[in-house]
Amino acid sequence: MSATRERIAKGSVSLLWALAGIALIAIMWELTKFVGTLIELPFNTSDQAMPHVWTMLSGFTVPEVRGSETTVFQAVVSAASYSFTLALGGFVIGVTVGLILAIVMQRFLFMERGLLPFVIASQTVPLIALAPLIVGIGNQISFGPVQWSTTYSVMFIAAYLAFFPLSIGALRGLHAPSPTSLELMRSYAASNNKVLWKLRFPSSIPYLVPALKVSAAASVVGTVVAEISTGVRGGIGRLMVEYARETTSQPAKVYVAVFGAIALGLVVAAVIAAVDVLLTRNLPKKGLT
Amino acid sequence: MNTKLGYVWPPILVATIFLGGWQLLVVVQDLKPFLLPAPSLIASEFSSGATLMWGAAYYTATTAFLGLIFGTVLGLITALLAQRFITVDKLAAPLAAGLATVPIIALTPILNNMFNITSRTPRVLVTAIIVLFPIFVNVTRGLIQVNATQLELMRSLNATPRTTLRVLRVPNAIPFFFTGLKIAAPLAVIAALVAEYFGGPQQGLGSRIASAAANTAYGRAWAYVLAAIITGLIFYLAIIALERLVTPRTAQVTTTA
Amino acid sequence: MTPTQLDSKNPGSALAISGLSKVFNVGNPNEVTALSDVHLDVHTGEFISLIGPSGCGKSTLLRVIGDLTAFDSGSVQVAGKSPEEARKERLYGIAFQQAALFDWRTVTRNIELPLELAGWQKSQRQERSAELLDMVQLSDFAHHRPWELSGGMQQRVAIARSLAVDPPLLLMDEPFGALDEMTRERMQNELLKIRMETGKTIVFVTHSIPEAVYLSDRVVVMSPRPGRITAEIEVNLGDRNEMTRESDHFFRCVTSVREALRVHDTSNSTSSSHRGEI
Repeated sequence: MSATRERIAKGSVSLLWALAGIALIAIMWELTKFVGTLIELPFNTSDQAMPHVWTMLSGFTVPEVRGSETTVFQAVVSAASYSFTLALGGFVIGVTVGLILAIVMQRFLFMERGLLPFVIASQTVPLIALAPLIVGIGNQISFGPVQWSTTYSVMFIAAYLAFFPLSIGALRGLHAPSPTSLELMRSYAASNNKVLWKLRFPSSIPYLVPALKVSAAASVVGTVVAEISTGVRGGIGRLMVEYARETTSQPAKVYVAVFGAIALGLVVAAVIAAVDVLLTRNLPKKGLT
Repeated sequence: MNTKLGYVWPPILVATIFLGGWQLLVVVQDLKPFLLPAPSLIASEFSSGATLMWGAAYYTATTAFLGLIFGTVLGLITALLAQRFITVDKLAAPLAAGLATVPIIALTPILNNMFNITSRTPRVLVTAIIVLFPIFVNVTRGLIQVNATQLELMRSLNATPRTTLRVLRVPNAIPFFFTGLKIAAPLAVIAALVAEYFGGPQQGLGSRIASAAANTAYGRAWAYVLAAIITGLIFYLAIIALERLVTPRTAQVTTTA
Repeated sequence: MTPTQLDSKNPGSALAISGLSKVFNVGNPNEVTALSDVHLDVHTGEFISLIGPSGCGKSTLLRVIGDLTAFDSGSVQVAGKSPEEARKERLYGIAFQQAALFDWRTVTRNIELPLELAGWQKSQRQERSAELLDMVQLSDFAHHRPWELSGGMQQRVAIARSLAVDPPLLLMDEPFGALDEMTRERMQNELLKIRMETGKTIVFVTHSIPEAVYLSDRVVVMSPRPGRITAEIEVNLGDRNEMTRESDHFFRCVTSVREALRVHDTSNSTSSSHRGEI
């Protein structure tokens, strides 16, 4: 079996196990509800607080608003797609910034020593909590004819969360080549740029790929949560909050929205996994020598 | 030449330049606080509202701390089970990987419905779930990725799986555990803070930031943000201190995050 | 210190192996016969080396003796017992090419590991580990950590550890393989000194012909595809000293081993046992 096919096979097996895990959770959910009817549990197990699994699934086909054409499922899918585009934008920006930072930090030791503590400290800033502030600032800015809208604020937040894992991973990767390889490049009188392109970047791929996974996850989470705290319309975050208000009448809807957010995350993870296979298909399994 | 650069003064220099430039920008451009408050304004708001700040920080920090403890314990138990019973590992690993991209904080409204929204419980729970993942992933790796020769040695000494766990796997996993904790601790603070956005008691940092922003008191809002950053840093530094206490200085121990 | 008598039926036999076979990956395209119909007898107190090119099965043979790998057919008796019994009764100590010390334990605590697992009391452990550290001349490093020691020193700790419960048999898998030549020769002398003081049976796997000849009473030559013993060469060098490595006798033994290795290098014939005495 070729290495790629082997990986796809392994991935499929993992997927089956994941589905088994989900089924197990569903069973435990219903079991908990059942136990809740027998004895007093410390939390609410009523059908309003914890709808049955089949109620949640039926929520997919319920019309979104009484009398409307679109089902909840369609609404969730379109909202998730919108969030996906925002997350993608944030991811691309974050990755670019992270890479540039990493290259600068690797090239100039002063920059690494000076910037790295702040790069790390940047993650203690709960930017998501700052979201309303970001929106407030953003609304004052305009680049000529282009007016900053709240969507850009959401993307900024996603980019902020994505750049850190990538810059750390990329920095580690750029430092990865062995002293022997560097000596070899020096013997070829290779310029710093050449060394970067021909040696450091290829060597950094085993470090970049896990960092890309974390960055992608961070941009999705950042997008959804930023949508919640800024109230941006059109995304899945806002939809979750809206449906959460209807739990008394339609308890299932919020769950469908939550599933939508989860599905969004999984789609992104699958895309990154595909990128992973693409980038590493010609590399030995245990990393570079 | 490089070793003379030191580790302390480059970041201090960068910070000074950054803060100085910020202050200068606000003054020269006469920027209004709702656009970008000056560092001086933030500092004064911070010192004048100090008791309130620390009260709010204490509230959020307690939620974060409870969630961190609970999530760490759960993560450790799950990791031990995953090492011992391969079925658990096979079930949990793809779930952990898949759920990494999911905004777990979105579970907060669901938990608010299940548990009492006026209590801390939903926030502590969602924080615990968020903390569980980095702990589980890293500790499992530490328990399983043991030097093969050392495993052979244990077999040659006729050690039972339990003894091998106690004598080899657990000590091996300790650096991995701290890698996970270093991720989880600041994450717990952020989670506890964001969870406050979904309703419930309003004494925490998250609620205060939101209400300050809503009242356009941006200087105060940024001051609360500063308090949040400091809280996160304290958690992180506490983990580093714990790590120094528990593990002696080891040479080039590489662990993955 | 006299070697312990373990097998009442045949007190002189430390190892009795006959018809041993082991195949990896049965039925797969990468199936390999690691050991085929191996016979070997080792007397108590003997030092034998296993030598041969990669894939000849010497490490596999060692691991079968130590019950670290199962075998498919034949019989293996370690002091009259099965390998599993021997392992459970702690009748052997093992040292690998990697020292495999625990970074989180001091040198002393690393040596005490087998003693802890064997249930020794703290005071007994401390006494024994001090004794062993003295034997390998590392008493000054009792409270150091493994990474603070050089490669050669780490191996000495590993050897001290293998002697901890005073087992009658020592299994060593290229323990000096990662060391430089000068350290290697020093370690060889130390090992011989330990052997003289304790009278243990030692099975030693190595890549190096001079090392095998210098250390052993008998050199067992193996060859691959399938893994088997092709020659056993008695080495009667007597007491070793600084001149031993430069003596004619030594040179003739080395040549003998080298020729035995070469003869069966390209041969496809079935195993032929060749006993030579120099």
